[in-house]
Amino acid sequence: MGREDGEAGGGLAATLAAHRGELLRFLAARCGDAAEAEDLIQDLWFKAGAQPATPVANPRAYLFRMANNLVLDQRRARRRAMARDRGWLEADGIPAHAVQDRADPAEPTDEALAREQEAALVRQAIADLPPGARRALEMFRIEGRSHAEIAQELGISRSGVEKNLARAMKMLRAALADCGFFGPAASPRQARPDGTMPGTEDGP
Amino acid sequence: MNGADETIIAEATDWHLASARDDMDWDGFTRWLEADVRHRTAYDEIVLADAALAEHGAMAAMQPAAANDDTIGYADDEAVAAPDSIAWHRWGGLAIAASLALVLALPWIGPGGPTTYATEAASRAIALQDGSQIVLAPHSRLEIADGERRIALSGAAWFDISHRPSRNLAITAGDLELRDIGTRFDVQETGGQVRVAVAEGHVRVASAAFDRPIDLSGGRGLTYDPRGGAVTVRDVRSEDAGAWRSGRLTYDAAPLVLVAADLARYTGVQVVVDKTLQDRMFSGTLIVGNGEAALRDLAQLMGLGLVGSNGAYRVTAQPG
Repeated sequence: MGREDGEAGGGLAATLAAHRGELLRFLAARCGDAAEAEDLIQDLWFKAGAQPATPVANPRAYLFRMANNLVLDQRRARRRAMARDRGWLEADGIPAHAVQDRADPAEPTDEALAREQEAALVRQAIADLPPGARRALEMFRIEGRSHAEIAQELGISRSGVEKNLARAMKMLRAALADCGFFGPAASPRQARPDGTMPGTEDGP
Repeated sequence: MNGADETIIAEATDWHLASARDDMDWDGFTRWLEADVRHRTAYDEIVLADAALAEHGAMAAMQPAAANDDTIGYADDEAVAAPDSIAWHRWGGLAIAASLALVLALPWIGPGGPTTYATEAASRAIALQDGSQIVLAPHSRLEIADGERRIALSGAAWFDISHRPSRNLAITAGDLELRDIGTRFDVQETGGQVRVAVAEGHVRVASAAFDRPIDLSGGRGLTYDPRGGAVTVRDVRSEDAGAWRSGRLTYDAAPLVLVAADLARYTGVQVVVDKTLQDRMFSGTLIVGNGEAALRDLAQLMGLGLVGSNGAYRVTAQPG
């Protein structure tokens, strides 16, 4: 968006310039699509430039984390669009984000309904977890407790906390996968024959 | 699911948990992703599950909290409880015992430096020790300091603060300071512009820019613009205050630029508004589950154009 590479943005922009190659490689591996990675690195320039000039302890790791979050933001939007438009998409085969091609505005009630259904599904999946796993996840993700606090509260070791969280997250993933949360083609063995994921568009 | 998939999912989970730490091996993670196309799909699923937990779990946590208090009061009365809630009792009782120890331990740990919460794509619930609840919006930042007496917000948050006359809590957002709080209200700060909407109770808003503090009660809100220090007080519908938590944004003559900034915050899309449209105002409701759909609705409702793709858009004067 009209940003001059390497000028404004101070330290982070300079770090980005120095590590652009590695970040691009990471983004390409994370997305599985080189053109998408190029787009995202532009977003990263934009965001890094917009950051307030507070010192960051490890700017390189900070940029990787920002890049990782950009992909997450995009995946979430894509999954949600896919969940909402699944029937429509499969009928027409049009990528979810070709917004200009779509004639009708989204029906707000449908959107809200889809979101409510999704929330109910996720809450049910959380409620169905074993109490220990559920409590560890809630403390970690909802209440924002530190590993040390969780360890103290559950009376387990710090490394036990990490194991507990990993186990709980895997269970949650499995529960969500079972009810189709990730879409019909999103399990590890079912990428499309051309290697793309549903809703992905190859380059401009 | 076969053994190989289990291994991949376990690895993806470990990488995801490690990614929050300062010593994350980003190069190793890149190589792991490159090693097998199934790796990134497994990783996608883990981070999406975690994001869903953060987003919807935050809303769920508001309800179970009350049920929880109940069960803890009757920790030995297991005869009437279903097997599920018996297990939950033990965890709940344990949790309370341990958190009491934590409260007592806090002053000993030190004078309590500020605690900072920063969100990315997902919102997050924060519980204060007096039982008050805060839901921090995506892409926002909250600093709690001085033994939970001072809170500084940039971005947006929903507050459900239990009233205690003896407490002197102050929340700052932009140039404004909120005091004398015992209520449920929403605060949105975007580049110094601040919107406050009170759903219930009462808030006093003070600022060096005001002649005297402004008192807001339930159903009232204000908008503050640092340019010129203009402040507008108006009625708000209580159910619209904090409605972003269920994916709904309602505006009454709000600058288009502000609406675009909100969409960027809540959906992660990048939006640029053409300079010629800076003075346009928007009134209406947007559903923000999907940023692109919400933007398209906005452009259509206002007779404007929308160009761009892949999460980066520009709103233009020409209808698309």
